[in-house]
Amino acid sequence: MAATPDVTDTEPRLEDLVDTAHRIRAAIESVIEGKGEVVRLTLTVLLAEGHLLIEDVPGVGKTMLAKALARSIDCPVKRVQFTPDLLPSDVTGVSAYNQQTREFEFKPGPIFANIVVGDEINRASPKTQSALLECMEEHQVTVDGLTYPLDTPFMVIATQNPIEMEGTYPLPEAQRDRFTARIAMGYPEPAAELEMLDVHGASQPLLKLEPVATTAEVRALIQAVRTVYVSQPVKRYAVDLVAATRHNPDLRLGASPRATLHLVRSARAHAALSGRDYVIPDDLQEMALPVLAHRLLPSLEAQGQRRHPEQVVTELVGRVPVPEAR
Amino acid sequence: MRLPVAAGLATAAVTTTLYPLFDGGAWLWASMGAILVTTLVGTAATRLAAPAWVATVVMPFALLAYVTAAFAASDAWLWFIPTPGSVARLAALIGSGFDDIQRYAAPVPTHDGIVLLTVIGVGLIALLADLCAVRLRRAALAGLPLLALFTVPAAVLTEAIGWIAFVLAASGYTGLLVADGRERLSRWGSAVVVRRSRSTGKTAPRPDTGRLALSGKRIGVGAIALAILVPALLPALSPAPLFQFGVGNGLGGGSRNIGIPDAIAKLSGELSQQSNATVLTYSSSDDQPRYLRIYSLDVFDGVKWTSSGLRGRPQDRVSEGPLPPPPGLSVSAPAGWAQTTISISDDVGPLRFLPLPYPPERIQVDGDWRADQSTLVVFSTQDEAAGLEYRVVTKEPRLTPEQLTASPPRPDGERRFLDLPDALDPRVEALARRVAEGASSPYEKAVKLQEWFTKTGGFTYSLDASGSGARALARFVLQTRSGYCEQFASAMAAMARMLGIPARVAIGYTGGTKIGDVWTVRTHDAHAWPELYFEGVGWLRFEPTPSGAAGQGTAQAPAYSLPVVRTASPTAGPTPEATSTSDDSADAARSARRDSRAFDRDLGAVPVVADPGLTVAAKVGIGAAAVLLLALVPGVARLLTRVRRRRLVSRGSSGTEAAWRELCDTLTDFGMARRPEESPRALGRRLTERYELDARTAASLTRIVTAEERLRYAASPAADGPVPADLAGVRRGLAAGVSRARRIGAVIAPMSTLLRIGAAGERGLDLFDRLEGLRLWPARRSAAGGPALNRSALDGSALDGSARNGSALTGSTVNNAGNTSTVEGPAGRTEGARR
Repeated sequence: MAATPDVTDTEPRLEDLVDTAHRIRAAIESVIEGKGEVVRLTLTVLLAEGHLLIEDVPGVGKTMLAKALARSIDCPVKRVQFTPDLLPSDVTGVSAYNQQTREFEFKPGPIFANIVVGDEINRASPKTQSALLECMEEHQVTVDGLTYPLDTPFMVIATQNPIEMEGTYPLPEAQRDRFTARIAMGYPEPAAELEMLDVHGASQPLLKLEPVATTAEVRALIQAVRTVYVSQPVKRYAVDLVAATRHNPDLRLGASPRATLHLVRSARAHAALSGRDYVIPDDLQEMALPVLAHRLLPSLEAQGQRRHPEQVVTELVGRVPVPEAR
Repeated sequence: MRLPVAAGLATAAVTTTLYPLFDGGAWLWASMGAILVTTLVGTAATRLAAPAWVATVVMPFALLAYVTAAFAASDAWLWFIPTPGSVARLAALIGSGFDDIQRYAAPVPTHDGIVLLTVIGVGLIALLADLCAVRLRRAALAGLPLLALFTVPAAVLTEAIGWIAFVLAASGYTGLLVADGRERLSRWGSAVVVRRSRSTGKTAPRPDTGRLALSGKRIGVGAIALAILVPALLPALSPAPLFQFGVGNGLGGGSRNIGIPDAIAKLSGELSQQSNATVLTYSSSDDQPRYLRIYSLDVFDGVKWTSSGLRGRPQDRVSEGPLPPPPGLSVSAPAGWAQTTISISDDVGPLRFLPLPYPPERIQVDGDWRADQSTLVVFSTQDEAAGLEYRVVTKEPRLTPEQLTASPPRPDGERRFLDLPDALDPRVEALARRVAEGASSPYEKAVKLQEWFTKTGGFTYSLDASGSGARALARFVLQTRSGYCEQFASAMAAMARMLGIPARVAIGYTGGTKIGDVWTVRTHDAHAWPELYFEGVGWLRFEPTPSGAAGQGTAQAPAYSLPVVRTASPTAGPTPEATSTSDDSADAARSARRDSRAFDRDLGAVPVVADPGLTVAAKVGIGAAAVLLLALVPGVARLLTRVRRRRLVSRGSSGTEAAWRELCDTLTDFGMARRPEESPRALGRRLTERYELDARTAASLTRIVTAEERLRYAASPAADGPVPADLAGVRRGLAAGVSRARRIGAVIAPMSTLLRIGAAGERGLDLFDRLEGLRLWPARRSAAGGPALNRSALDGSALDGSARNGSALTGSTVNNAGNTSTVEGPAGRTEGARR
């Protein structure tokens, strides 16, 4: 199982990528039944060096997904349960005085891992939430004036309950913008739920999950994704798509340039996962909804009409013409 | 600003239709100058936002200054400020212009007088158009003065107005309407905007009226095209009947144009025509030449001789039996019977009268021909004389001189045969009395009159004379004594009326010349002659026009009209009997109305390009074939394209692109929409699912689609592209999914080619639009309004066309609200960014 491809190869081949990704997917899906699309998106975000926001009601397997991903890759995983009294230092780590060495010593927090699962992130105070921002964007932690770099790959998988639930602090726009994509788990199909009862009733499948890829492998995959070709028309198409959100009367706030960047990156990952070494508009269309929707603010009228940003994005994708010119 | 210019352009466009009326182009430039002057005044008034009446008041003065500068500069002060001298000069020019109009038929020479009159007329039309369209803001109403101008060539020209002229004029008017619509809309928009810009110090965008104008133009162009094409295509109507209100004969002098004189005024054209084509041939039982009468004109209104109308009741059909007896003949006289067989040339124009010897008794002819009771003129409202052959039996009473002399002065004759216009010079009547001095009976007076015209009066025959109105008549009788049949006939008829003899003018042909066994009547035999009425005898033909080489060649005075008749025995002399022509009133009124209309139209009709013997069926056939060929063009073009693309695909080079284009066109042909937001891959997937393509076809489709996708988006194109078989397979597979009608349509009238043709047309329209959008001076507001407009255009790029207009308009309203009410921060920011 622990097949180790030539990780020193600087030019990772696309076939290896597809193969490895397939293994990871299979591993996760052995734990999470009937959520192929969600798993695929999660992988896409991982390969796009992004962070994932999973939003849904409690108990649909958000944490399970994050853990399964973490376990299937042989890498350090930390989990932070966000609560209203959680402090920033609880996330990033503290400098503690060492009696023996008589020096301050940095005790790394849970953020120092390849995959960080932030559970119920919207239950933490805004102060703690923002502590996460620097780490996510800059891949580094600064404590007491000292900067500590984070390992690669670094991915934050945050879960949150819908804002309407009690005792939550909604994530500010700036922080939402830092997540590459937001997905919703959704309830499982009756058949999948039935199967889950069988499997989970007997044992804990998560514990039986063996890692199927190494950190080095994932790093190589990420490297491979970076080489996926994005032609000029496709770039223009991405810009058009994002720009369309900024001029839409249904939206109060359009997507940021960072969104464009994330969109193209995840489209690259999407293309690579499909075994293609170039991005096509379909990749962008596929990724537009998870990448863009959570960054948009509906206008007052749209809110009145109960038009969600998801709807608006779907409409835009169906309206912006696909580039023809070469 | 746009409107006065559009009004000027419209007037100029209609003015160009006058072109065939003139012999030379000087008038055109002068008229354009007048339009320019009015347009400049109008534009200036609009620009300065002057009250509406100012332009209308200033314009006549500007026009006066212009004509002064153009026609009487030497007498004017500073070349354009009118002085009494210059005004007198202009007045003199106008006078000579009116004379010239009397004298010449179209195309008239560009003498100063005529040009001046034209310029004044055109200038006034331009003024009226400006008044209606710009000052009163009733652009549609401006069509009336323009139409008045347009009817001038329509009414005067002998030929139908060309479709190009019609297109020009109609385009001008359409342009005016479009400009008015745009102006209206932009004004409506800016009213909102101006208020706002004052309060915020920002200039708001003007509503984008371009798209609206474009659709307006499309409708206009479509309507004009329909107006031209539909009448030409409908087999029920003759080609381009819209323009056939033109009248006249073959004055144009085309080599194969011949005609029949339709009104007295057109005779000179007939007679002076270069070609002398055969109009008809006839043979008669007694082998005598006979004058063939077509019309009889009984009303002299001082300008010309016209007909008071014809009545042809169903029971007056010539097929119903003998014609009504000749009016007025009551004396008993031996009758000279003669049968004449007449065949009219095919090349004669749309003539709806039969040339007949007088008095006809019985006619054998095909078609619905009816005789007018009082004049025995035979006409039809449905059939045409061209190509007809018919037989006429005439019954000419042989009258003795005694019977003629015995005819008393008519006591209570019909007044209309004695009416004379008041404008007639009294000296003419005095002259008539002097000529008839010594004659006791009406008949003798008539003979003396004819003798005076032909012998003693010193008249000469000349085609240079013109007109037969009251003034022309007086000049002819009193001064020049030179003219042709028109003057002679009308002068004798008028003078006979002065002497109390009922008279009318007949139009037709002389007997012609005998060639072989038949008498041949040619264009130059067109003729006019007076018919005089004698109590108890009826209508008799007289011949005042000189005959022979120095006159109308084949004219022949009837024996009874010559003075020698007194001693010689009478030979030929027509005349009818005297049942008074009573009308049954109700029927008369009704049919009079109908027939006068018919008469007008037929009078109006005539010249025709002689066509080389094509029947209507052949014409329809040729037309249909041409239409068919034209209709096949798109299909053939599509086929050629397909073959070419298949070759490209098989060759490999740029085959991917060709295959893709072919796929797109095939989709268009089959009416399967390709959505712009659909990537090649998505298209392939959709097609496969929607039309349930089999595996092989789906694979072909995927090959085409993937190759195109790689070509577009990948770093390097695919190694293996589609093959020709893929194209054919996909086409077959797709064809299976549509109806048979669709499949046939895709071959015969492929939508892709039609759309391409349409797009070419659109580009033409866009060019037109750009031309119109040219600004002579920079618009003040465009600098500030530009970016905003651009942004809204960008906004619109994501939306479809209709939504775009909507957002441009509603957008400004929303913004307005944003300025007055408080909107929370992010919303305000967004709005601001979007504006």
